[in-house]
Amino acid sequence: MKLNKLKRQYIPFMRAGLQTMIAYRMNFLGFVIGGLVYCFVMYYLWKAVFTSSGGATFMGFSMTDMVIYLFLSNVTGQLTFSSASNDIGEEIKDGSISMRLIKPVNTDLSYLATELGCSLMKLIVFALPVIVGLEVYRFCVFGMVEFQPINFLLYLLSILFAYLISFRVNLCFGFVAFYVKNLWGIGILKNSIINFLSGALIPLAFMPEWLKMILEYMPFASMSYTPVMIYMGKYDVNEMIFRLIMQLVWVMITYALSRIIWIGAVKKLSVQGG
Amino acid sequence: MRRALKIYRILTIQNLKRLMEYKADFLTGAVSFLIDQAIGIAFIFIIFSQIPQLAGFSFEQIVFIYGFSQIPKGLDHLLTDNLWCVGYFIVRKGDFDKYLTRPINPLFHVIAETFQVDAIGELVVGVGLICYSAPNAGLCITPLSMTLFVLSVPFCTLIYTAIKISTSALAFRIKSSGYIIQMVYGMNEFAKYPTTIYSNVIRLFVTYVIPFALTGYYPVLYLITGEDPLFNIGGVVIISVLFFALSLMVWNQGLKAYESAGS
Amino acid sequence: MIYAENLRKEFTKIVKEPGLKGSFKALFHPHKEIVVAADNISFHVPKGEVLGFIGPNGAGKSTVIKMLTGILTPTRGQCWINGKIPQNDRKNYVREIGVVFGQRTQLWWDLPLLETYSVLKEIYEVSDKKYRERMSFLNEVLELDDFIHSPVRTLSLGQRMRADIAASMLHSPKVLFLDEPTIGLDVVVKDNIRRAIMKINQEEHTTVILTTHDISDIELLCDRIVMIDKGKNVYDGSLRKLKQNYGQMRELSFETDTSEHLTPEKFYKGLNLSGEDLTVKNDKNIFNVRFNSEAIPVGDMLNYTLSITKVKDISVKDADIEEIIRRLYKEGADEIE
Repeated sequence: MKLNKLKRQYIPFMRAGLQTMIAYRMNFLGFVIGGLVYCFVMYYLWKAVFTSSGGATFMGFSMTDMVIYLFLSNVTGQLTFSSASNDIGEEIKDGSISMRLIKPVNTDLSYLATELGCSLMKLIVFALPVIVGLEVYRFCVFGMVEFQPINFLLYLLSILFAYLISFRVNLCFGFVAFYVKNLWGIGILKNSIINFLSGALIPLAFMPEWLKMILEYMPFASMSYTPVMIYMGKYDVNEMIFRLIMQLVWVMITYALSRIIWIGAVKKLSVQGG
Repeated sequence: MRRALKIYRILTIQNLKRLMEYKADFLTGAVSFLIDQAIGIAFIFIIFSQIPQLAGFSFEQIVFIYGFSQIPKGLDHLLTDNLWCVGYFIVRKGDFDKYLTRPINPLFHVIAETFQVDAIGELVVGVGLICYSAPNAGLCITPLSMTLFVLSVPFCTLIYTAIKISTSALAFRIKSSGYIIQMVYGMNEFAKYPTTIYSNVIRLFVTYVIPFALTGYYPVLYLITGEDPLFNIGGVVIISVLFFALSLMVWNQGLKAYESAGS
Repeated sequence: MIYAENLRKEFTKIVKEPGLKGSFKALFHPHKEIVVAADNISFHVPKGEVLGFIGPNGAGKSTVIKMLTGILTPTRGQCWINGKIPQNDRKNYVREIGVVFGQRTQLWWDLPLLETYSVLKEIYEVSDKKYRERMSFLNEVLELDDFIHSPVRTLSLGQRMRADIAASMLHSPKVLFLDEPTIGLDVVVKDNIRRAIMKINQEEHTTVILTTHDISDIELLCDRIVMIDKGKNVYDGSLRKLKQNYGQMRELSFETDTSEHLTPEKFYKGLNLSGEDLTVKNDKNIFNVRFNSEAIPVGDMLNYTLSITKVKDISVKDADIEEIIRRLYKEGADEIE
């Protein structure tokens, strides 16, 4: 009964997300191509690195691993992308955030549903083709099918967690708009920090041991590194379970954190009268 | 020309005044771009902790290329940032009307209106990296090479500007071209590293089609080897001017198709 | 001064069917449609006239204004203003015009108002002496002094509109285009703006073209109106003439304890009018009288009603412009000319 109501209330938001994706398909294409360009630059850079180092592996990664890692990180980044920080930020800036408070639906959930709609679309039209491409590439290199259905399914689960964390972290960033107006600058800052700390730029395995230790336990690793590692089969069963549980813990912590900030924000709103 | 300079100066002073109103924003912007850059460099450091050279270039040389590539990028960012807004929303929302009701060139007006100090992040990193790496990069420094090298900077910047003008002008026809600017501009990633690491097709592409390689690698290559100034510097000058002329044509054509917004 | 000749503007629009299915369809087979925003618009405005340009939402008013100001290029037809074709000689042409779009601002949002003027001074190459003269004139007319040092973002809508009009007048344009200059303003501020426009027109003989939805704007300011609907010119002439033909109907609405005794027949008899000039609608304790104000003045109608019943509240409705246009369009544009 409750589920039914939930479905009725939030499915429209999800559908709106899907439609937004279609309406802004060219924008999306721009980001996809931008991301792929970046992957190719990195691909050639790594190729040069492998050539220069002369070895078949570089810090435990083969060139094939590297290719999978690069593209999969990009796909993961696209799927877990959340524009919540921008949207919330803009709403804070122009004051329309008060409109959010008067709607009879849970504001976070409506956002979430819309973005999940977007992500679903990205999964179908972008992520799956890239993954198929990567598997074909692996097949060509090794001469056999390397695809692990279990890992793929766990990857999807892990991505869902990653998205939830990303959504909450982004929400927290969005509240910065209460204090600074330069959302564009904040966006750049946020992206580059997340890119670095989540291992999307450089695999965490390449970092100095102490830094790696810290980063692996931070929420950012859960946003990209963990799902990619799971897909690549770099974790054994125990570690995999451990990482998934850690993701879940971060989902809860970031949820609590964003709620606390939100409650503070509502107070601040009523003080500003806005 | 003198009038244009005067208007530019006045608009820029207005911008700086605005900056003073929002000091926190300026700091956020500049620091953001600074950190963004720093993270890019951390990457190079990590790689070079494992290998002595990359595609025949030493660590210092790679850093020098990387650093130099940020200077034209930063200059263009400093001067023409408003073109992003043209592509993303000025045209779509019909706000371009304003520029058309003023007795100065709309392109000049729209560019002059923004002086984006966020770019200081890129410029500081660029200059910093150049200073850091230059002593050990094995550069071939002569009065001539230095002159030509420095001379290439405005032309490298012009390549960025030309690419942004032509892609933002597409908005006149398709309402919003932000994603196209994003797509094409994003290719400046290629400029950060020696083009020799790329495949032939990509090398030709980033030299002649979207010529970002000219904004970093080639001028530095000339400074490192002292060879082939005709292409490494002359090519930059010719191609950038060509691209700029082309972008003005695209812009003027686009302007005719401008449909404003609303009824 | 201003000649518009057969102006026509077409836009291409992509039509999307509603729903998810429609989105997919539009993705693969975008259905394009040509929309004619303005068609065959011709008129002439002599120097010093204030022309009201009216029509319902989406009629094409702004499109025509944008063609006249050189922002849009007509698909067909041409316009001359001060002997110039806006599209051909844009840079020189715009020196002679001032433009205000009520829904947008050309002021620098974050800076004190005065800064905007000092920038515009350079852009329009106004000399220092002339600038001082202009500022004192505009100050006097638009009363900018109270807020000239405040950042634009802190101005009220009315102040912003005054500031915007001043910005468009700084270079002493010969023609002033005002696109909905009173939109969203309260009555007092509207009145303020109107007086300013009137003064500018009288003292400088500036030709003014303004679009509006507010009939009072037209009544107080305009010598003549051009009305368009669905992109077509439907009326060109004085407001008085238009009202004589179409705008003389008034509506009074009374609130009473009981209105059962107020039958239409009673009114017809009592006032000696026929159904053509008078309709009465009776709804419990509210009743409406629509009448031709030429057949019976509003005052007489009021007196009569008050004499036959006890009235708790009265409201007067003017025949609004939308109503006039609706009727005008229904009856065809030809009859009136």
